[in-house]
Amino acid sequence: MQEKLQSIQARVMEQLDQAADTAALEQIRVTVLGKKGELTGILRSMGQLPPEERPVMGQKVNELRAQIEEKMAEREAVLREREKAIKLEKESIDVTMPVEDRTMGAMHPCSIVLDQLLTIFTGMGFEVVEGPEVEYDHYNFELLNLPKNHPARDAQDTFYVDDNIVLRTHTSPVQARIMTTRKPPIRIVCPGRTYRVDEADATHSPVFQQIEGLVIDENITMSDLKGTLDTFARHLYGEGITTRFRPSHFPFTEPSAEVDLTCANCKGAGCRVCKGTGWIEVLGAGMVNPKVLEMCGIDPEKYTGFAFGIGIERITMLKYSVPNMKYLWENDVRFLKQFR
Amino acid sequence: MKVPMKWLNEYTKIDLPAEQYVEKMIMSGTGVEGYDKTGDDFSGVVVGLVEKMERHPDSDHLWICQVDAGEKLQIVTGAQNVFEGAYVPVATVGAQLPGGIKIKRGKLRGVESSGMLCSGPELNVPDGLYPHCGDEGILIFAEPHTPGEDVKPIFGLGDTIVDFEILANRPDCLSVWGLARESAAALKEHFVLPEITVEENGEGTFDDYAKVDVQDSVNCPRYAARVITNVKLAPSPKWLREYLHGAGVRPINNIVDITNFIMLETGHPMHAFDLDKVKEQTIVVRRAHDGEHLTTLDGKEHVLTGDMLVIADKENATGLAGIMGGEESEITENTSRVLFECAAFNRGNNRITSRTLGIRTESSARFEKGVCPETTMEALDRACMLVNMLECGNVVPGAFDFYPNPAPVRTIHASAKRIAKLISVPVTAEEMEDILNDLYIETELDSDGDTLICTIPAYRMDIDREADLAEEVLRMYGYDHIPSTLMQGVTVMGRRSERQILLDKVKRVLVDMNMYEMYSYSFISPKWIANLGLAENDVRMNAVKIRNPLGEDTSQMRTSLVPSMLSTLAMNINRSNAQARLFETAPIFLPKTEGELPEERLSLSIGLYGENEDFYTLKQIVQQLLYAFGVNEKIEKGADCYYHPGRSAHYGKIAQLGEIHPDVMEKFDVSRRVYVAEIDLSLLNAAATEIQSVRELPRFPAVTRDIALLTDECVQVGDLMDAIRTAGGKNLEDVRLFDVYRGDRLGAGKKSVAFAMAFRANDRTLTDEEIASSMNKIQAACAKLGAQIRQ
Repeated sequence: MQEKLQSIQARVMEQLDQAADTAALEQIRVTVLGKKGELTGILRSMGQLPPEERPVMGQKVNELRAQIEEKMAEREAVLREREKAIKLEKESIDVTMPVEDRTMGAMHPCSIVLDQLLTIFTGMGFEVVEGPEVEYDHYNFELLNLPKNHPARDAQDTFYVDDNIVLRTHTSPVQARIMTTRKPPIRIVCPGRTYRVDEADATHSPVFQQIEGLVIDENITMSDLKGTLDTFARHLYGEGITTRFRPSHFPFTEPSAEVDLTCANCKGAGCRVCKGTGWIEVLGAGMVNPKVLEMCGIDPEKYTGFAFGIGIERITMLKYSVPNMKYLWENDVRFLKQFR
Repeated sequence: MKVPMKWLNEYTKIDLPAEQYVEKMIMSGTGVEGYDKTGDDFSGVVVGLVEKMERHPDSDHLWICQVDAGEKLQIVTGAQNVFEGAYVPVATVGAQLPGGIKIKRGKLRGVESSGMLCSGPELNVPDGLYPHCGDEGILIFAEPHTPGEDVKPIFGLGDTIVDFEILANRPDCLSVWGLARESAAALKEHFVLPEITVEENGEGTFDDYAKVDVQDSVNCPRYAARVITNVKLAPSPKWLREYLHGAGVRPINNIVDITNFIMLETGHPMHAFDLDKVKEQTIVVRRAHDGEHLTTLDGKEHVLTGDMLVIADKENATGLAGIMGGEESEITENTSRVLFECAAFNRGNNRITSRTLGIRTESSARFEKGVCPETTMEALDRACMLVNMLECGNVVPGAFDFYPNPAPVRTIHASAKRIAKLISVPVTAEEMEDILNDLYIETELDSDGDTLICTIPAYRMDIDREADLAEEVLRMYGYDHIPSTLMQGVTVMGRRSERQILLDKVKRVLVDMNMYEMYSYSFISPKWIANLGLAENDVRMNAVKIRNPLGEDTSQMRTSLVPSMLSTLAMNINRSNAQARLFETAPIFLPKTEGELPEERLSLSIGLYGENEDFYTLKQIVQQLLYAFGVNEKIEKGADCYYHPGRSAHYGKIAQLGEIHPDVMEKFDVSRRVYVAEIDLSLLNAAATEIQSVRELPRFPAVTRDIALLTDECVQVGDLMDAIRTAGGKNLEDVRLFDVYRGDRLGAGKKSVAFAMAFRANDRTLTDEEIASSMNKIQAACAKLGAQIRQ
C-alpha cells in the first residue's frame, strides 16, 4: 500500500505539472480525490490493514491528499491566469474603427462670443437687460440727444415703421428705458439685434448685433471706462491686449472716444490684419452726456456715468478671422460646423 | 472734406510730413479718411520749347520737332496745332503717363523720336484746372516757362490733399479756416486770419440796385447781400483754380469760383444772382405756397409745400433757400451785375426740405449741419475782397444785412477740479486755461483757482456745458493719458437676464443633440409668408411693415421663423450639403394697434434633413427639449396647413412639428423632404417645472408582464399607452413599446403591438392576484379601443 501511495504521488505530481488547462485539473481531481478516486479507494481499503497500521496509513493518505490539493491549487492559479490572458487576447478589437462622426452641434459663432462677453461682464457686476427690437423713436433717438432732424441721425441710417417707431439702430434704447425707470447705481449690459439701412457686404449687414454697456453712479470717471474695457479686451483676446482711446463724437456721450484694441494677430507689432498700425478699431464709448442724464431724470450734478457699444459681428470676425460678414448670416452648415 | 495742404498753410504752419500731421489730427479729434498727392499718376513730364519744325519726309501728317526740354530732343508728333516757339509739355524718355504708359526711345517711319509731346487729357489734367487742358491737341502753355522745368507746378498739381472726416458736432470744421484753427491748436502753432478789407469801388449804394425782403426770421436768422457791377467774367487765376481743384470742386469762372472758394474757406455757402435777371431786382425770402412750382438749376421741377423756405422775386419762387438756386438768375457769360448772397438758414428746416425733395448739395449739407450766423458778414466781405483782388467787378458801397436777433455771447463757468476728475487725467487748472485759449475759447481762471470762465466763440455751436469743455481739454491733453482703473462704490450683483438664461438652456439642449445654431434676418419678403398658404385671418398674415426697406425681399418683420428656416434648408440642399440640423432663436413680431409697438414673441425654429432624418428624429429633439424643461404635454396629430397633414403634430400650443407639405416645399425650392418644428419659447418657459424633491429608491422588486395586442392600423400607439397607464393604476411603474408587427397572418389593415410593463409598490411585494387584477383592467381598457389580446 505504501508503494501504491508513492506511485500515486509521483504520477499525480507529474500529471499536475503537465495539465494544460483547468478542465484537465478537474479530471485529475476526480480520478484521484473524487468519491471514486484512487486515494478514496485506498482509504476505503484500509480495513484490510492490521488495526495498528491503520492510523499511520490514514495519516499518510491524508498527507498526500493535502500535498496534492496544495499543488493543484497552485497549478490552477497559474492556469487561470493563462486562460484569462488568452481570453483577453481573443477579445481584442480594432480601436481605430470609426464611430459616428460628431453627435454634438454648436452655437452660432456670434453666440459663442456673446456668451463669453456675458461671462466677462456679469463677472464685473453687470446685469444683462434686454428690450424691444422694434422701438419708439423717443427711446432710440430723442432721449439720447438725437432730436428729430438732427444731422447726427445720418450716421445711423434708420428703418422706419412709422414716424414714431423704428427698428432700433443700436441697443442704447434699452439703456434709456433703464435710466428712466431705475435709480443709480446702474450697471447694465444690453445685447441684441440692431438694424441699419446698409446693403449686405463683406463688412456690413442690415441686421447685426451689439452689446452696449452703461454704468451710472457717483464718482464714475473716464479711467473706470478705460479699466472696464481693458479688462474686457484682456479676457476676450488674451494677456497683453489693451485699449487705445481716440477722440470722437457721439451725441449721447461727452467726452466720446473711438476705442482700438491691440491687434490680437500681431500683438501690436503691425501686420496685414491691422494694416500695420498695431491697432484694430473695435468700439465706441464715452462718458454719458449730462443732457442725456437730465432727459432721463437723473441728476447730472450728482451722478456721472459711462457707456460703450460693441459690434458682436466685428469682434467675432476678428476672433475667428472670418473673412466676410455674409458667412455669419448665410448659415452654410460647412461654416457652422467649424465651431464647437 | 478735401483740403490742399497749401491752402491750410496760408493760415497756419504745418511743417510735418503728411503722415505725422494726420496722426496728430486724429489723436486730437479731427478724423482723417486719407491723404493723396495730386498729379501722382504721371512723372517725367517737363516743359519743352519747340524750336524748329519740319515735315516728315515719308508722311503727310507727321512733324519732326527739335525741342529744348532742358536738353535738345528730336520728337516726332502727329499733332497739327504745334508751332515753332510754342511751350509744351514733353514726356521725356522714361516718363510714366496715366494708365501705366511708359515712354521709350523709338523711330517713327525711320525717324528717331526721343519723347512725346502731350495733350491735357493724356496727362489727365482735370478739366478747368489749366486753360484748354481739356482740348484734344497738344497743350500749349499760355506763358513761357523754363525748358526742362517740371510741369506739375504749372498745372497746380503736386500738392498733398488731406481728406478730413468731419463729425456732426463740428460743422465749423467744414471749412479751411476751421481746420487751420484745429491744426494750429493740435500743433501748437499760430492761426492767422487774413485781414478783410473791401475796396468799395462801385457807384451809388446797395439800395440803388436791389431790395431784399426777409419774411421769415426763424428759418432765415441772417441774410446779407452785396452788389457787384461791371462784372468781367473770366477764368480764375491759377492759385484759385488749384485750391478749388484740390478741394474737389470744378473751377468754372471767377464769380462762381469766388462763391465756392468762400464756402470752402469760411464754411458759409454763398449764392450769386445775375441781378438783371431778378425781377424788379427784388429778392424775397419767404415760405413757399402750398403747391408752388419751382425749377431748380439742374433743370428739375419741384412741387413745394408751405413749410419750405424759398428765395423769390416779387411773384415766384426762384430758388430753394440754401439748397439750390433757380435757372432764371444763373450767372452766364452776359452777366454784368451780380448780387452776392451770404445767409444763415435754419438747419432743421433746411434738412427737411432737402430730404423731402431729394436734393443734396454742398450748400445744403452745410446748412443742415449748422452754419454760424455770426460770421456771415465776414464771409461776404471776404468774397468782395476777392472781387477786388481778381479785378472782376466793382463792389458797390454798402451792404444789406438782416440780422434781427444777434446771437448772445455765451459764457460757461466750469470747475477745473470736476473736469479733471471726470476725465481722470492730472491736468491743472492753469493747463486747462492754456489749452482752451489755444482753441480760441477765451478762458480766464477765476481767483478761486478752480472756476474757468470761458467765452465760447459763436461758431462753436457744439459747446454748451462743462462736459463739452472736458472733452476739449482731454483731446488736446491726449486721450492716451487716461489711466486704467476699476469702478469703486457699492457692489452690485451681475447676472444674466431671465431671457438669456432661457436661451442658454435651450441652446445647450439643442447643441447636445447635434444641432447647429443659425442666424437669419428679422425681416423677410411678404411672399414668403404668402407661400405658407395661411388663412386670411391668421395673425401671421398681418405684419409690421418697414416704410423704407432695402427691397421688397426684406420689407416686413417676420411673423414666423419657418420661411427663413425653409430658405436656409433649401440653400444647404442646393449646395449639396448631405444633411443639416439647424435651429434659430429669435422673436417674431405681431402687430398690435397702430402706433403701439408690436408684440415680440420669442420663438425657436428647428429644421433638419438628411438620410437618417424623419418625423421621429425631429420628434425626439422636440421631446428632449420639453423633457429638459420638465414639460409634460401630450402630442396630438395635426399642425398648421404648411405641414404634411399625415406627418405633423403639436404639443398643445407650445410646439408644432412635422414634415413640410410638398406644395410649400416647392414654393421654397426645397428639393427633398425636410422636417421643421416651431416652439413658442415663452410658453415653454411658462410651463417649465423644477425638480421639487427626489423619489426614494425602491426597496421591493418589480414584476414584469408583456402584452401583445392585435388592432386596426388606425389605432394610435400613444392612445393605447395612455389607456394602459390609466388602467394600470398607481402600481404600474413603467410601460414601453417593444414591437410593432404587420404581416399577412394578421390580415390587411391590422397590426400587432407589444408592450412590456413593470409593476411595483413602494411598501410591499405585489401579489400575483394584484397583478392579475391590473392586467385584467388593462386588457379591458385596450379592448375598448378595439385592441384584443393576441394569444
